[in-house]
Amino acid sequence: MKNFLVLFSLSYLGASLCVWWLSGFVPWFLLPDFPFLAVVYSGFFVPGVAGFLCALPPAIFREITAAGPSWSMFLGSMALYFASREVGRRFLLRSEPSLLYAVVSLMAAESFSIVLLLSLAGVSPFSFLWGAQEAVRIAWTSLIAVPLFLDLSVRWRRVKE
Amino acid sequence: MGSFFRNWWRLLVTVALLVAAIQVFVRPSSPLERAEPVRAAGVALFRPVYSAVDFLRGGFSDVWNRYIALVGVSRENERLRKELTELRERLHATRDAVLENRRLKELLSYSQTIERRTLGARVVGHDVSPWFRAIFLGTGSEAGIESGMSVVTPYGAVGRIHKVHPGLSEVLLVTDGRFAADVMVERSRVRAIAEGVGGNFCRLKYVSLTQDVAVGDRIVFSGFDGSMPKGVLLGTVVSVDRPKESIFQKVKVQCAVNFQDAEEVLVILSRPSVPFRAVRD
Repeated sequence: MKNFLVLFSLSYLGASLCVWWLSGFVPWFLLPDFPFLAVVYSGFFVPGVAGFLCALPPAIFREITAAGPSWSMFLGSMALYFASREVGRRFLLRSEPSLLYAVVSLMAAESFSIVLLLSLAGVSPFSFLWGAQEAVRIAWTSLIAVPLFLDLSVRWRRVKE
Repeated sequence: MGSFFRNWWRLLVTVALLVAAIQVFVRPSSPLERAEPVRAAGVALFRPVYSAVDFLRGGFSDVWNRYIALVGVSRENERLRKELTELRERLHATRDAVLENRRLKELLSYSQTIERRTLGARVVGHDVSPWFRAIFLGTGSEAGIESGMSVVTPYGAVGRIHKVHPGLSEVLLVTDGRFAADVMVERSRVRAIAEGVGGNFCRLKYVSLTQDVAVGDRIVFSGFDGSMPKGVLLGTVVSVDRPKESIFQKVKVQCAVNFQDAEEVLVILSRPSVPFRAVRD
């Protein structure tokens, strides 16, 4: 329950901050994707049904705050949860570099797949500049993810002990 | 076989979900439309955020100006400066009201020229994802807004209603890659398809090398496809490239509206004449 509430608040506050910051103050590529981080964290560190339940609210937040086709962002986020669950089970994610690689890979894979899908659909609004900005967004979000994930996972372990 | 599924079921679920996501990207699924109450609950959760953003955006500049005005106030002329600040605040508030009044008057007079039923709406948020370009309006299905309706300002086109919820509507901007509409060059009447390319730009497709398009030309909607009223301004041509290896020109258009600064817009309350895939809520 505690896991759920913390991740729920984190993703809600994060998404709200993005909505607020984006209203003319901060460019999009400087905004870390907090709901993404909440989904990935629940995949990495919250086992079982609890993790699945924790991933649901941020996935819905992503669906609402992004203008993709109906339910595509939700389904994509749940796919991201199961992928990060698999990564969390197969690899040891205790050190900073491993966490950083895992988050960067997942984020880059998600971004690349959406761009590929849009390009296949004949939509090509992506330029070199956009790619550079997206790289900044991925780097920025991943850099925030490492201390956040480590801190939260240590706290959970302490609570369990 | 059983152990394979036990070991790899998460990966299989990931693939299945990705296939489902691709499927809804290509063709919206009707079973998912039955799950709209879940989305409506999420929207209800986020509506206060959008309202707060709208409220805070208005108040932020006020607080900022007050802070700036008070920095460096010396003790001797504190009273005078306070008075000055108060006067400035009043002036600022009045100026803000005057500006808002002017904007609303422009919107009203523009809505009278459109000859269709329109609805004024406030912009309460922007899409937070890097892949799509959209804005959110603080008015939704309760005001009669439907998917596919055009959204404009006195300066030009903004986009099309994409999804509608109670109290919130999502507008797909003309710069989004999924936006396409029939347009024409105002001067030479050359027709083309405008498509969003991100930033504040669109491109014109299917303009042959012999057709007359020049930098500085104004691009307006033709109204033939019913997606936008005829004559609404899209933007101005900023570059024309005639590559030898292609049969079409590469025409880049800068949109007339700065979407980041748009605060109020007009929704044209008429159904699009071409069928639009409705997203019910």
